[in-house]
Amino acid sequence: MFGWLERNPFFFAVGVFVVIAFAGLIEIVPDFAQQSRPVVTAKPYSLLELAGRQVYIKDSCNACHSQLIRPFKSETDRYGMYSLNGEYAYDRPFLWGSKRTGPDLHRVGNYRTSDWHANHMWDPTSVVPGSIMPAYKHMFTNVTDLETAYAEALTVKKVFNVPYDKDMDGDGKVDVPLGSYEEAKKRAFEYALRVAEETKRQDLVDMVKAGKIPEIVALIAYLNRLK
Amino acid sequence: MNWLSDNVNQLALLGAAAILILTIGVAAKYFKQIKEGKSEGELKEENWDGIGEYKNNSPIGWSLAFIGTIIWGIWYWLVGYPLDAYSQIGEYNEEVKAYQAKFESKWANPTKEDLLGMGEGVFLVQCSPCHGIDGTGIEGKAQDLTRRLLKEEVLDVINRGSAALGNPNGQLGYPMGMMPPGLLSGADAEAVAEYVANGFKGNDKGAELFQSACASCHGPDGRGMNGMAPNLREYDDKIISAVLEHGKRGIIGTMPSFKGRLTPVQVKAVATYIRSLSEGA
Repeated sequence: MFGWLERNPFFFAVGVFVVIAFAGLIEIVPDFAQQSRPVVTAKPYSLLELAGRQVYIKDSCNACHSQLIRPFKSETDRYGMYSLNGEYAYDRPFLWGSKRTGPDLHRVGNYRTSDWHANHMWDPTSVVPGSIMPAYKHMFTNVTDLETAYAEALTVKKVFNVPYDKDMDGDGKVDVPLGSYEEAKKRAFEYALRVAEETKRQDLVDMVKAGKIPEIVALIAYLNRLK
Repeated sequence: MNWLSDNVNQLALLGAAAILILTIGVAAKYFKQIKEGKSEGELKEENWDGIGEYKNNSPIGWSLAFIGTIIWGIWYWLVGYPLDAYSQIGEYNEEVKAYQAKFESKWANPTKEDLLGMGEGVFLVQCSPCHGIDGTGIEGKAQDLTRRLLKEEVLDVINRGSAALGNPNGQLGYPMGMMPPGLLSGADAEAVAEYVANGFKGNDKGAELFQSACASCHGPDGRGMNGMAPNLREYDDKIISAVLEHGKRGIIGTMPSFKGRLTPVQVKAVATYIRSLSEGA
């Protein structure tokens, strides 16, 4: 039996591979298959949130803020429930970050509000004395790029089968609508107006009404979505 | 200083010498064997390009170890790993459980000083980003916790009812339930608002109207009849825990719910600390 293997090095190599890979197979594959699924509450980002996510990436928020709450008491006390793999299912790429110059933001939507974010991004030390975070005043005038965000959403919908326009939880309603660019844009503007009104800054409301979504509004929509 | 007087150095030197002597001895033994040794025993019939193999049995110790490893491997694959694997979440759960047990036994009967200290700590971490480190609400950006109610706030609730407060269902979880909008209006509402905001003083008309329109739920003294309705005079434990649990919406804006983030002792501590802010003022 083994003489045959010794005469056939290719099949010998296959056999060696199977034996060595076995432990990996039983330890990694079943767990991976389970953990990599989206958690039940995970939903794709709406157009405005996705645009905000692109602002987050563009301004390198992830250089100072992580989005990964580790399972330690000291972290869950401060930031909330530890993060699960499946929560990042629609993050492309995930923004775990590796350095916490600022606090973790993975569940910031649970304990901050739109007006707080607006005050904080305009002048961080006005709400957090001693904060070393820089002000991001340009976000209040820069206009959000909805077209790129729509392109990203449509791409992940078509290529990775991200469930836009689908009934995910079986209640007969579409959970995260995307549709055509015009439809998506209309919804994004309605959403943006709501967020702008929550910030209680008239300049932001006026901008949205004038057909331009300031970057800060998209970013706040994204941050509020992080729960 | 004589470095040999240190016994660790002595031991190290002794060890080095032993290793050196053993290495030389073992090397010499094998050199001798290579030079003089002769192969003995019977060859197997198979040979590979002239390289043969002796018909020796495997050493017993080696065979036992080999078989033992196979048995252990099967056990580990089928039972050991799947049923007894390390779990980071499991370790976290144990850590939290142990910490909670310690926390609860340590703070089973906290004194007022304990609660103030703990409350200040929790307040600075969880509350101060919005309410400010002094609790004054950062120039109107959040509720000023050094006082109870402003006239505009009372008016807002009278006009809009408690559906405008609490979580999206308008609930703060008080037994008396929701307050309907428009119990009073116009000058009457103003008078009550002024009376309440002024700390239940002055404005006789407001005092009279309060007794007829508000006292049935909030109590004749406005203290909420022991938690049946919100206390309008001070931040008691009940209103702090209700707002922390349900969040709150009001004329200023929205406060998110902090449900499950604080233990009951911590909630009590925060309430004690917040009361101390208005007492000090």
